[in-house]
Amino acid sequence: MALLEVKNLHATVQGREILKGIDLTINPGEVHAIMGPNGSGKSTLASVLAGRENYEVTNGSAIFNGKEILHMSPDERACEGLFLAFQYPVEIPGVSTSYFLKAAVNAIRKYRGEPELDAMDFLKLIKEKMKLLEMDQSFMNRSINEGFSGGEKKRNEIFQMTVLDPKLCILDETDSGLDIDALKIVSQGVNALRNSTRGILLVTHYQRLLNYIVPDFVHVLRDGKIIKSGDKSLALELEARGYGWLENAA
Amino acid sequence: MTQMAQVNNQRSDQARNSPVIGPDYGSRWLADFHQAAAAAFDRIGYPDADDEQWRFINLSPIRKTTFHPAVEPGHVPPQELAKLSLADRGFYELVFVDGMFSPAHSHTGDLADKIELCRFKDAAGKDAQRISPYLGQELSALSNGFAALNSAGFADGLFLNVPAGVAVGRPIHILWLTTRHSRPVVVFPRLSVNACDHAQATVLQTFASLDSDQPVLTNAAVEVVSGRESQLELITVEREASHAFHVTNQAVRVHTGARLQTLTFNSGALLVRNNLHVQLAEPFAQATINGLTISSGHQHVDNHTTLDHARENCPSHELYKSLLAGNAGGVFRGKILVRPDAQKTDSKQTSKTMLLSDDAVMNSQPQLEIYANDVKCTHGSTTGPIDDEQLFYLRSRGVSAVKARSLLTYAFAGDVLNRVLNPVTREFLSELTSDCLHRMHIDAVGS
Repeated sequence: MALLEVKNLHATVQGREILKGIDLTINPGEVHAIMGPNGSGKSTLASVLAGRENYEVTNGSAIFNGKEILHMSPDERACEGLFLAFQYPVEIPGVSTSYFLKAAVNAIRKYRGEPELDAMDFLKLIKEKMKLLEMDQSFMNRSINEGFSGGEKKRNEIFQMTVLDPKLCILDETDSGLDIDALKIVSQGVNALRNSTRGILLVTHYQRLLNYIVPDFVHVLRDGKIIKSGDKSLALELEARGYGWLENAA
Repeated sequence: MTQMAQVNNQRSDQARNSPVIGPDYGSRWLADFHQAAAAAFDRIGYPDADDEQWRFINLSPIRKTTFHPAVEPGHVPPQELAKLSLADRGFYELVFVDGMFSPAHSHTGDLADKIELCRFKDAAGKDAQRISPYLGQELSALSNGFAALNSAGFADGLFLNVPAGVAVGRPIHILWLTTRHSRPVVVFPRLSVNACDHAQATVLQTFASLDSDQPVLTNAAVEVVSGRESQLELITVEREASHAFHVTNQAVRVHTGARLQTLTFNSGALLVRNNLHVQLAEPFAQATINGLTISSGHQHVDNHTTLDHARENCPSHELYKSLLAGNAGGVFRGKILVRPDAQKTDSKQTSKTMLLSDDAVMNSQPQLEIYANDVKCTHGSTTGPIDDEQLFYLRSRGVSAVKARSLLTYAFAGDVLNRVLNPVTREFLSELTSDCLHRMHIDAVGS
């Protein structure tokens, strides 16, 4: 069974149609990259799948793990195992990362019918994952993303993803604003999550990220539709020839 | 002696609210004090609707009701008291029932060994001479009808003197509890605190009332003198039931090197008016005054503050935050007065409001009056809804809508709570805030 099956997905924002019929199937263990020029609808697709308000789905379906998710609240989708790493992670002063993350972990465990983690077990879990992303422990007591650099924010996204252990990871322009060292650490974190059951959807403008996280499939989005799909060589071709090449071809 | 004496009142619309005169315990100075205040009320009367200071609060429900003074303390169900008591948290606790001190409900421990506690009605002779200056003097900064009514009508009240150099240690809780009555009642809580030089204390007052179908008017007055190098933390917690009207007039004078810290916490009552007047009377006095309001339904909370910088080199910080849901209304009016002698004043005022419904309304007004030329005064005010992007972020990680809203609203309140100095008090207020917010979000989801 496919992990995610998107069919004929149409979505509008403020009456303007952004997604104009997306078809996309992600099987367990696969890494897909969605590429495309600015304004093609890449981030909209990520947002619609995660359940962000102010987008209206006008047609189509998204079956995740055998369940239609388009009518679910964002928190239900997260509990089902979907994770969106934000392009612009928001700062939340006054809410500590550790308190928030414990609430998230336990909300998901409760949803799955698993016992909630106590403070000790939670601490053990996060210590292990922090090591992986080379993060300082003091970071857990800081407010979510407050005063973080761009790189720290993105690393925090991958760290949360690692802790929450989702079935499908959607990474929205995770490479934007990262220097090469941060990009390596973030990629390392994502690669460590690759396994035979998890799906990963990378939304990116540039091929650069795909040198570090090598995708199984690459799709090109333009004007709300996937106009070409291929393997990783498609990304290299885009890098060499630009998106204009495809527009002419289309 | 009659408990209620009617005083002639020329204004017909006030006839029904003629001043109540406090009971005569045979204390001449106190009887004179009551009488003088009643006469003052006759001159001042209730604030008019066109009075600029009272423009955003509708007093007509108070004026239309005939309130009777609580004659004797009513029944206090132990389980109700248990909900309000802070004795188990390590507070000294002084309980007033319907305006009268109730030793049976109080937990004073060794408090009397550390500080002087005197009921005004018990002060006679030399004590009266010593204590009487602490009654009325500070309050003269707030010359409004409610303050005059309190002075005329209080039946009981406390003078609390923290001797020089004494650090009380455990915080002091003063609970003003109004019980159930078969008709509308008014109570006049009255407190004077004198912190002598180098004294340290935390005083938390709770105003509470038992649920009732009869309205209650709590008209409180608090006067504080903060001596040189003293550290005083004054917390006011308004958590009366939804049938209550509440007015507090609180005036504080701060001396050289003293550090005053206040928090006015509002979650209860239907209509609340807090007047807080802080005078930085000598050089190098400091004041940090904070407010936190959590309102829903048709609650209306009106906070008026004045920071009176009388002398040079005084810093003041003010942070008032409101969380308003339902049809709640809020007012913040913060005046910073910098007198000609108050050079090098450094004053910062901030008012922030989070509106949790489309029908909640906030009115925020800073008011700077500066008569010195070398000063730094800043003020800022923001009012806005909960941040949708923050909400989505939390929910996208699996946190439910109610929990996410609780987290964000609690975070909003957090920096006010973090300013509370006494750890035990801070812990209590954090839990109280959490409870209030949780109830508010559950209500919002349910409706």
